[in-house]
Amino acid sequence: MNGLMAFSNELAAAVEHAGRATVGVNGRRRFGSTGVHWRSGLIVTADHTVEVDEDVTVTTPDGRTLAATVAGRDPGIDVAILRVDAGDLPVADIATEPARVGHIVLAVGRGPRASWGVVSAIGDGQRGRTERADLLNLDLTLYPGFSGGPLVDARGRVVGVTTSGPARHFQVAIPAATVSRVLDELGRRGRIPRAYLGVGTQSVRLSETLRQRLGTDQRAAVIVVDVQPDSPASAAGLVIGDVIVALGGARIADPGDLRAALRPEQVGETVTVSIVRGGEPRDVRLTVGERSRRA
Amino acid sequence: MMETTRDFVALADVVRRITVEVIGNDTALGSGVSWPRGHVITNAHVVRHARVAVRSVDGRQLQARLLVRDAEADLALLSLDAADLPTATVADAARVRIGSLVVAVGHPLGMRGALSAGIVHAIAPVVRGGAPWIHADVRLAPGNSGGPLADVSGAIVGVNAMIVGGLALAVPIARVIDFARSAGVAVP
Repeated sequence: MNGLMAFSNELAAAVEHAGRATVGVNGRRRFGSTGVHWRSGLIVTADHTVEVDEDVTVTTPDGRTLAATVAGRDPGIDVAILRVDAGDLPVADIATEPARVGHIVLAVGRGPRASWGVVSAIGDGQRGRTERADLLNLDLTLYPGFSGGPLVDARGRVVGVTTSGPARHFQVAIPAATVSRVLDELGRRGRIPRAYLGVGTQSVRLSETLRQRLGTDQRAAVIVVDVQPDSPASAAGLVIGDVIVALGGARIADPGDLRAALRPEQVGETVTVSIVRGGEPRDVRLTVGERSRRA
Repeated sequence: MMETTRDFVALADVVRRITVEVIGNDTALGSGVSWPRGHVITNAHVVRHARVAVRSVDGRQLQARLLVRDAEADLALLSLDAADLPTATVADAARVRIGSLVVAVGHPLGMRGALSAGIVHAIAPVVRGGAPWIHADVRLAPGNSGGPLADVSGAIVGVNAMIVGGLALAVPIARVIDFARSAGVAVP
């Protein structure tokens, strides 16, 4: 049973390794969540677990409490970045290879605590290239307080950030590469901008005729029910009744897809929006705006 | 990978041999761990009467007598008529780490000798300031109570006692050893 013993020791070492860069995040009333010391002084956690913008603290593995400030949020993928004076807190070992379906993974929570399982699916297998399509679906238990913590491989390298979502019934992880892109954006601009279109939408079914016309198997899209004045959408000429089928090459089947397709790094960039207007497909060029920062 | 699977099969066999079923009035009460010189360790909450029976993995039913019961530790020690059952080996408590692979064997919901596998989730008190318990990310069900939580060498790291929030909680082996010693029974 030497092989099994070696594997068991490897898993325990993985938890220990990842646990050194795993912190407790105290940003909500009921109970704390978990965070990963991703880059020096920057803690990644799940956005939904940081309910306040002030008086957030972080608990280090050796039990110290550090004051933290919210450096940025990306609610589209449930990521928040906290800034701390990290001192000698080790930085997590981030995997360079993406996780694959079937990989044995460990979720690490503050404490440290751990659970294990496998990557059961990636995305839902049918959506286009939105960030949602990269989500790691996990066959493991995310225990209370685990959200925002690292998902690690058998060597303790971080392959994602776990979240059960605000409703606490998901077991998913945001892939490490996606999280790193958010941090890159923070480094580049000093903040995480929130992309803004200025439309209100609702899901709508695409008829068989329309699907044939568009040459797609996509069954749903969103219909524009509101266009805000002086918004990027109005500047691009979008009007109520337009049906948005895709944005920047990503399929849009519901309003959540639209939010997920709008990445912080697209702010200021021009993207192609594929729409149907009066039964006719057409492409509209739209320059993604930035949602004004909260007062 | 195939080797790992074979190792698991062998491990299941080792742990099953030292796991007994605790029976009272023809109904299964829970599980137990075969201890040296004809003894069985189980949970106090499994055994509430002086006379019970145990069924070994080979199907033999043996009469058992309750020797010591400690409700606070949730441990009980039984004495058997026969002393020829294979007995457990105990793990070095210091080697139990968070993330270590562990297996539980028991009789959940009447399923005899069922194996479940997982990892050590935490070693922490259940209530603030209390004694530590082993929290394991292992799926248990009623009927697992009193059965072994073992490491991958088959050595016992704890005695499964309850399920809290989906986690298996086991009495750590150090407390089991203390309990057995105070009852005058040697450690395997």
